[in-house]
Amino acid sequence: MNLLTRFLSWLKWMVKGQRLESEMETEVRFHIDSRAADLVRKGLSQQEAMRQARIEFGGIESHKDAVRASVGVRWWGELGSDMRHGWRLLRKNPGFAAVAILTLALGVGANTAIFSIVNAVLLRPLPFRDSDRLVRIYFNEPGVGLRDIPFSKPEMDDLQTRAGVFEDVTPIFEGSENMTGAKQPERLEAVNGSFSYFSMLGVTPQLGRLFGPQDFVPGFASTAVISDGLWRRAYGADPNVVGRTLMLDTDPFTIIGVLPRGFRHPGPTVSGDVDVFGAGGLSGDPFPPPIRGNRVLGSGIGRLKAGLTLAQAQARLTAMAADLRHDFPTDYPPQAQWTVEIQPLQETLVGNVRPMLLVLLGAVILIVFIVSLNIANLLLARASGRQQEMAVRLALGASRGRMVRQMLTESMLLSLIGGAAGILTAVGTLGFILRFVPSNVPRLNEVRIDWVVLAFALLISILTGLVFGLAPALHSAKVALSAAIREGGRGSGYSTATGRLRDVLIVSELAFAVILMAGAGLLLRTLRDLLQENPGFHPTQVVTANTWLGVPNNPKTDPYLSIPGMANFDREVLRRMKAIPGVEIAAITSSLPTTNSNPDAVGGLRIERFAIEDRPVESSQDLRAERIRISPDYFKVLQATLIRGRSFTEGDEDGKQPVAIVDESTARKFWPTHDPLGRQVRFGRDPAKPWTTVVGIIKDIKSDGLDIDGVPHIYVSTYQDPSKQVNVVLRTSLPAPQLEPQIRREIQSIDPGLPVFNVASMDDILDRSLSSRRFSADLVGGFAGLAVLLASIGIYGLLAYMVSQRSREIGIRMALGAGRGGVLKLFLQKGLVLAGLGIVAGMVVSASTASLMGSLLYGVRPHDPAVFVIVPVLLFAVAVLASYLPARRATKVDPMIALREA
Amino acid sequence: MGKQIDLLQGTLDMLILKAVSLGPLHGYGVLLRIQQISGEQLEIQQGSLYPALYRLEHQGWIASEWGESDNNRKAKFYSLTAAGRRQLHSETEKWNRMASLIASILRTTPEQI
Repeated sequence: MNLLTRFLSWLKWMVKGQRLESEMETEVRFHIDSRAADLVRKGLSQQEAMRQARIEFGGIESHKDAVRASVGVRWWGELGSDMRHGWRLLRKNPGFAAVAILTLALGVGANTAIFSIVNAVLLRPLPFRDSDRLVRIYFNEPGVGLRDIPFSKPEMDDLQTRAGVFEDVTPIFEGSENMTGAKQPERLEAVNGSFSYFSMLGVTPQLGRLFGPQDFVPGFASTAVISDGLWRRAYGADPNVVGRTLMLDTDPFTIIGVLPRGFRHPGPTVSGDVDVFGAGGLSGDPFPPPIRGNRVLGSGIGRLKAGLTLAQAQARLTAMAADLRHDFPTDYPPQAQWTVEIQPLQETLVGNVRPMLLVLLGAVILIVFIVSLNIANLLLARASGRQQEMAVRLALGASRGRMVRQMLTESMLLSLIGGAAGILTAVGTLGFILRFVPSNVPRLNEVRIDWVVLAFALLISILTGLVFGLAPALHSAKVALSAAIREGGRGSGYSTATGRLRDVLIVSELAFAVILMAGAGLLLRTLRDLLQENPGFHPTQVVTANTWLGVPNNPKTDPYLSIPGMANFDREVLRRMKAIPGVEIAAITSSLPTTNSNPDAVGGLRIERFAIEDRPVESSQDLRAERIRISPDYFKVLQATLIRGRSFTEGDEDGKQPVAIVDESTARKFWPTHDPLGRQVRFGRDPAKPWTTVVGIIKDIKSDGLDIDGVPHIYVSTYQDPSKQVNVVLRTSLPAPQLEPQIRREIQSIDPGLPVFNVASMDDILDRSLSSRRFSADLVGGFAGLAVLLASIGIYGLLAYMVSQRSREIGIRMALGAGRGGVLKLFLQKGLVLAGLGIVAGMVVSASTASLMGSLLYGVRPHDPAVFVIVPVLLFAVAVLASYLPARRATKVDPMIALREA
Repeated sequence: MGKQIDLLQGTLDMLILKAVSLGPLHGYGVLLRIQQISGEQLEIQQGSLYPALYRLEHQGWIASEWGESDNNRKAKFYSLTAAGRRQLHSETEKWNRMASLIASILRTTPEQI
């Protein structure tokens, strides 16, 4: 009640601040006039009475101030006047204001932009109903080192009914589909799930309906849901698109619905955003009989029952897996230790970019720290210049707390202006910045400046304001009154208290710079190493193009069903490619080097189980390799080196002895003591299939990415074991854009329904595979450069200030016979001692935190000696230069002038 | 004018409440009333009345209203509110208890210990 009264009263005066002033004025005047009138009645003259009344009343302004305080508005009034004072100071010193605000805008802007990405990608929950209950389901065999293996229909049924932890489960088949019917056939990214895929996620369509139980049919339903993107691209956002027919891999589908704009499939894909969704019944053609061993389902997503924690669900799944292993020992050999694991869906989507984003966030936070330390230095220099002002204020009765508040208000004003400029910069440039963010960062479409981002930007601004405002504020409060007035009156020297504070600021600035430089150094070295990495082939003058042969749901309509059918297609493609003028050699592969940087992705790479003739299938060894189907000239196009044996020939075709080529590390891994040539392997588990003989060994090709090692590769002849994914590789001196129309024309003259996509030079493909590393290395490198610049400005500014403050002392020293060398040494030493301290501190911190970056490095150890030598040497050199310039100026001091001026 | 007594810290508020409890007064009137009832023995720095008046109003113990003074000038008149009356009552009691306690302490003779 009382609190409310007081609040209302405060509010009244806050709103009517002017009325408070006029009311006080009227009351005071009335009081004094009345008193004077009384005094006149007692016999004083009018003039004397007024004077007496005023004296009795006391200091009018201080009483008014007490009134303001007593109704709680003084603080605001003071804030206002402090702000005005601060604003005037900034206006008076536009150079300082511009530097401070610009650097702050840069620091806060960079923070805002990076944080908006971190917020959208890592922090915000996935845009689905109760998305924390969505999990990715992995089937693993830790006993033989296998993760994310396929699963079978009965196993999925177990999850649904026996596990008792899922509200719903859907398998995900990611893949390509050829859309025909438009002017140009187009390859679409497709996902087939169960009919409950959308209801499990909790998605509502913008047009039509999504899948329901009516789409649960044997084989695949003949209905399709399309993305907003495809709806706009292929159908011009036609509101009557529902009911139209869509031809996918030569099968007709009826469009039943269009997804909302922001929807993204939250699971594995082959590449890019999914445009078309289908529903599979998981039984009936083309699905194999639902036997436990028929593991054809790629990956699974589930929704946990409400109220179940991840750990509880995992415990029950582990128990269920143990039961199943016990019940079906033939399907689950004990040494494989088959088990089921779940991971939050968000984690599986963003986990691999988290280290990069966090390092970037760390870098921008360091930058904003350095910026604010730099401003603190400038402010401190200014505060020393304002010692006299402060001393006078103190002498006139200002409290020290009041003065700290005033200084802090000034800094806050500066940081908020800088912060606002930074936020505006971020808002204005976010779209531009996002274009440089590598596209393998998921959820970029969700990046926006929302309230959380704004709150973060505000927090950063306030924190920087505190960092750079506190030092000068506390310093000004400690002003020793008499000394300051005396010092101020005489063009002071360099006072030790301020000096120490500034030294600390410079040392920490340098330390932060070292941390950033070390991080940047490690990332840049990684990038340089990767760029210089021998990929095992020669990428220049190679052009690639992709096509996809399609998998119709009705096998009878598939022109490329048989091995000879596909082999004939491959041969025809090669014949036509070689006929294109300018093409020297042409080859085909099922997997282009470095186009998929995730070896665990089931969609991109087929890491398959295989058997070796003289070893048991279920041995404890991880018998798993990526099978790459290639035509005979593939290694010739890539200029890869055959070590022993032979390449494939045109004669390695269906019906002949199946042949394989392994790379060196595969040979070492599986045949450490034997010669693999002549040994036999077999993919899959069908014992009726013939064995494949190893006929050659090739030097390692970085097939999965320049930064990925250890995936074994077994190359087979595409004529014997063809793939629906046909990637053409051409050795040619012509650029990709020039070849594209010809490649398309030739392939479509074989089959007009085939799309030709991703026509690019191999150099570009390699380059793109490093885009994420290049992005982070460039960004952190740029920040490090900025940090060095700011730190050297800091040192330079400090010493230049010292020189100007001590010019009188220098003059005396020189007048007394000090040599220029001695003066030079005096200041140089100061700069170098500070730099040394900062560098050592930074190195210690870097060394102890570098391992946090381990997952971002490749081929470089977190404590890479080169980085940890070059960084300090480089920074020290910069510090020497930054110290030398002002130190030399000290030697130019003319004793006569210095002494006279002082 | 005899020797004046400096106002004890914190008692000004109580005196103001007492003064306006006898009828609405403007600021100068409060001063006159206090001086009158104290027999001109209290020294009050006149200006310090106003922060106290605003503070008491801020706390809801007195209310103010603009009106006309005896000499026909615009003046702000303060009067006691119901809450102010309760506050005055409890302050008075507290003061009396304190005064008698202090007095009894000061009366203490060596024999009583």
